[in-house]
Amino acid sequence: MLAYLAKSIVGAIVVLLMMSFIVFVLQSVIPADPARAIAGPNAPPETVETVRKELGLDDPAVIQYGRFLSRLAHADLGTSVRTRRPVSDDIRQYIPATLELGLASIALGVVLALVMAVLQFLIPGSGGIRLVMVGVGSTPIFLSALLLSYFFWFRFDWLPGAGRLGYRDFAGPTGLNVIDGILLGRPEVSLDALRHLLLPALALALPIGIAVGRSLNGALYEVMSEPYVRTARGKGLSETKVLLRHGLRNAATAPLSMLGLQVRLLFGNLLIVERVFGWPGLGLYTVQAFASADLPAVLGVAIVFGILYILVNTLIEIGQSMADPRINL
Amino acid sequence: MTGGSSRDTPPTRPRFNWRDFFRRAGWLESVGIVGLPVVTVVAALAPWITPFDPQLRVAAAYLPPSAGHWFGTDEIGRDLFSRIILGIRYTWLSGLAIIALTLIVGSLVGLISGLMGGKIDLVIGRIVDLFIVLPSTLIALAFVAALGPGLVNTMIALAIFWWPWYARISRDEIRRLKARPHVEAARMAGVGGPRLLLRYLLPGVVPALLIGASLDVANVIMTLSLMSFLGLGLPAPAPELGAMTSRTLDSLTVHWWLPILPAAIIFLLCLLANLAGDGVRAALRGT
Amino acid sequence: MVKHSHRMASSVTEPLLAVKDLSVTLSREGRPSRVIDGITFDMLPGEVVALVGESGSGKTSIGLTLQGLLPREYQPQVGGSIRLAGIELVGAASRTWRSARRRLVRSIPQDPMGALNPTMTIRHQMRESNGGSIEGWLSRTGLPDPDRIADALPHRLSGGQRQRVLIAMAMMARPKLLIADEPTTALDVTVQAQILDLLRALTREQQTAILFVTHDLSVAASLADRVLILYAGRIVEMGRMRDVARKAAHPYSIGLLAARYDLDSDRRRPLLTLPSEHMPFVNLASACAYAQRCPIAQLDCTAIRPSLVVASVHGGAVACLHQEQTAFVSAQRVDAKPWPAPSIQDTAALRLHNVSKTYPTGNRSFWGRQSQPVLRSVSLTIKLGECVALVGESGAGKSTLLRIAAGLVMPEGGTVTRFDKACPQVVFQDPVAALTPWLTIGEQIGERLRGVSLDSDYGRRRVGEAMKLVGLDPVLMDALPAEMSVGQCQRAVLARAVIVPPRLLLCDEPISAMDVSLTATTLNLLSDLRRRLDMAMLFVTHDLAAARIIADRIAVLKDGELVEVADPDAIVAAPQSGYTRSLIAAMPGPQGGGGR
Repeated sequence: MLAYLAKSIVGAIVVLLMMSFIVFVLQSVIPADPARAIAGPNAPPETVETVRKELGLDDPAVIQYGRFLSRLAHADLGTSVRTRRPVSDDIRQYIPATLELGLASIALGVVLALVMAVLQFLIPGSGGIRLVMVGVGSTPIFLSALLLSYFFWFRFDWLPGAGRLGYRDFAGPTGLNVIDGILLGRPEVSLDALRHLLLPALALALPIGIAVGRSLNGALYEVMSEPYVRTARGKGLSETKVLLRHGLRNAATAPLSMLGLQVRLLFGNLLIVERVFGWPGLGLYTVQAFASADLPAVLGVAIVFGILYILVNTLIEIGQSMADPRINL
Repeated sequence: MTGGSSRDTPPTRPRFNWRDFFRRAGWLESVGIVGLPVVTVVAALAPWITPFDPQLRVAAAYLPPSAGHWFGTDEIGRDLFSRIILGIRYTWLSGLAIIALTLIVGSLVGLISGLMGGKIDLVIGRIVDLFIVLPSTLIALAFVAALGPGLVNTMIALAIFWWPWYARISRDEIRRLKARPHVEAARMAGVGGPRLLLRYLLPGVVPALLIGASLDVANVIMTLSLMSFLGLGLPAPAPELGAMTSRTLDSLTVHWWLPILPAAIIFLLCLLANLAGDGVRAALRGT
Repeated sequence: MVKHSHRMASSVTEPLLAVKDLSVTLSREGRPSRVIDGITFDMLPGEVVALVGESGSGKTSIGLTLQGLLPREYQPQVGGSIRLAGIELVGAASRTWRSARRRLVRSIPQDPMGALNPTMTIRHQMRESNGGSIEGWLSRTGLPDPDRIADALPHRLSGGQRQRVLIAMAMMARPKLLIADEPTTALDVTVQAQILDLLRALTREQQTAILFVTHDLSVAASLADRVLILYAGRIVEMGRMRDVARKAAHPYSIGLLAARYDLDSDRRRPLLTLPSEHMPFVNLASACAYAQRCPIAQLDCTAIRPSLVVASVHGGAVACLHQEQTAFVSAQRVDAKPWPAPSIQDTAALRLHNVSKTYPTGNRSFWGRQSQPVLRSVSLTIKLGECVALVGESGAGKSTLLRIAAGLVMPEGGTVTRFDKACPQVVFQDPVAALTPWLTIGEQIGERLRGVSLDSDYGRRRVGEAMKLVGLDPVLMDALPAEMSVGQCQRAVLARAVIVPPRLLLCDEPISAMDVSLTATTLNLLSDLRRRLDMAMLFVTHDLAAARIIADRIAVLKDGELVEVADPDAIVAAPQSGYTRSLIAAMPGPQGGGGR
């Protein structure tokens, strides 16, 4: 296990390096001149030259990359063109909201997947169920977000349509409002946060649930026709026990991979859902960055998301090796 | 069903015929399979079959859907239905182009890698793995942001991150086939390299690639519309489906058809593509 | 229901299992077929009944039906009655079935490799089978170090060990009925004998009845009290094992018995086989299922379905309208012409000298991969026209040696010299896998004709000749492998090998996965072909009896070394090495130790 952890950390660092390299290359590709952008459009050439020297833009690429890496190590991601603040500050401000939404979506998605797969297995599906599932799985995220918003907020007014919280000026230690509410002894805040969380998390959880659920269902189907399942049934175990004890664990590998894939897509989907629901997180920040051509912000977010993604991947691989002890990495 | 001993009963004829294909795919999925070429024709003929000119104002603005304008009109008074048809053309044809390109490039790379084995396989394999591990959508987004928005840039960015998928499929299939007895037997029968590849290996790889590609159409469409939603596709006033939705988000409560209908069409396209993919997989399973 | 009048009426014993008029229909791809067609028999506590049949006879389905484990996706329909320990099972609720599986009926599977959950320890899995101490049962099945095994995962155990675990798991529940579905076909001969002994001992202790499903009459003979012979889902004969083995009443049984071969069979003549190739079963409700192949079939056989009546030759039961004629079947077969002597020359077709080979094992240590020697300095010469059989158990290295001889694998040490510069031809174990699924048979056979296309008359003629040589109808030239039976596929592979006759033909366990009747036919075909085409042959097998029948010399391989090379009769009569002796002793049959 220890050897495996070491191996995956090394792998993670390699990927991070690759990502940083790509980001660096992208950064230097923009046609615009960053020195001029900072000095201002009206600055005289000498000022631009001074700024250029300060930024070290004339040094060879390798040195620039080295500087870039060391800046990264110090969590210096440059300055946002739009907000004129350090990107890392911006990110720190917005990341809790995204973390909360992301975690909630993944959790909800996994629950949906389990329920869906097991139900579909115990009750063989007809064309109708198949259609519904493929249908939900084909819905682009902005459509589902729109529809959810339209019906549950606009039409029926059951749930709030935008924002994270109805209470102003509430700030907790973790930044995750649901937890902070409980920690600070104000359960009504947690409840309100949950109500705000529900629609966007549901929108994000649906594609996860469908994709992982289908993968799980397929894997279960295969696993349940394996010889050892017949052996288990031959011992007189109930079908539920066979499914839970023998089926699920052996069927876990493929769905876990699919979960990893879905989390990858989650980052893209976050942008859209945060935009539709006005959720003040990294996604919304990124959308605004795109709109104002704020490249440092975009790249900064890319790096942060990249790190998160690698983390998730590693967790998933650990999960896979726990499910199947034969994976002797 | 019976053990150890051989099955000496000749099975029924499995020669390829369309009826069996569609039966195995399922009736629902067959609708999807048939729908794909239909949509392609619509997309190809789009500029000529729109009822109104998609770029011109033809009626009052913000008209709800009616008999005259099936999908209503937008903020300038352009017929939404015509704009959507044109939008289908952009999305669908670019999606097909991306898949075709990445399929060819990816499967070639995978083939070479799988056949050559040894160091070449190791190097290419690692590159493919790396691409698959990277958060590709993210990087594609950053890519396009850096290079500037535009349809071509978006397509390039997506293509760069899409081909490793097919490389992996074809590499895995070739490696699996290479070791099978019938290939060994052919080699021992004196079959040479090119003939071995063409007659004995390639036909075995094609089903897996077909299945992968058909399942992928929906993903590409979805990603393309996502990118266009974020403003990374063609600039306005081009009628791109995702962009049409994002630009009119705030009219959701007042003019619901403006953001919802383009999104619904994307949904239909993805639905057809997903059904088709499932159908192809079910029909070709075991080939 | 036929009463067995010969059975001693010592106690009015209620039968443990009473099956009456059992029928099972399964639907595959929407097509229903009756796999079990009106079967009636019973079993007493503690008796061993062999259920003998070939593929497609329905024997595995019976085992599954008795446990209620027919696969759901085939939409099974079960009719008739099954009374186990007085409980009616057909149409019973799931709870009843589960309780029956827990306490009354258990089974051990044919293939132990996949039958244990790979991610659960042995202990965990055995605990689900309520009853008794886990370590206790593991050591009762002869496993050393039961603690270690109990905590291990299945993939660390060998096939024989897994089978013992499965036996322990089944027996610890103290079932009244044990269904053993070919439990030893996937195992080596020596392990086979041990497992059979184990089964016998355990069931004797607990008075468990065994239903032993098999296609191998010799194995059945060594273990069973009674035998049921199954054909096309119907019982065609039943009686005491000894009686039926000595003198069978049904033509099919006669064929089965005759197609057996063992260490005593006549080597000089072709083996006796069942008449004609296996036809697809056309389940006629009012006809005898065997009529199409039966050598004594008459008009009424295709109009009336025979029911079980008393067999005049042994007092059991037989389903044949003309059982008095079966004696003629045996008589017909005695005088087959003996084989002509093979023309063996002095020049070597293949010379292996000090060949050695190691394989890297999975264990990667810091210093590189560990490797395991598979062949240690093997030297063997095969003369032109000679057939040498390479006999050994799994892991001995025989397949590796064959692949080295074929040129598919390079040895690490030693030399390989072939007479013929061209490639030797290989016949693989799995004929279906050796054929490309999307090319026609004709195309694949004709592949070896350099520069001759199948469109030309000449090409088609040559391919047709090759097909006729192996007994294939040239009409099949345009068929795909999936449209043919396994036997036909094996012949196609042979045709491809001999269309341009090689000087050396390499056969890698070509008969291990076959029914008895097909095995005999294939051995005859190979013997015929090699003499006719003057080919040297290397025949790799684990079956010593088959080796004896086909080969001019036998080479015994153990752990990568040749322990004995001699004339077949000499080896059987007076084996020099202890290993060979143990191989002979382990074979089921009258002079083997596995006999009763």
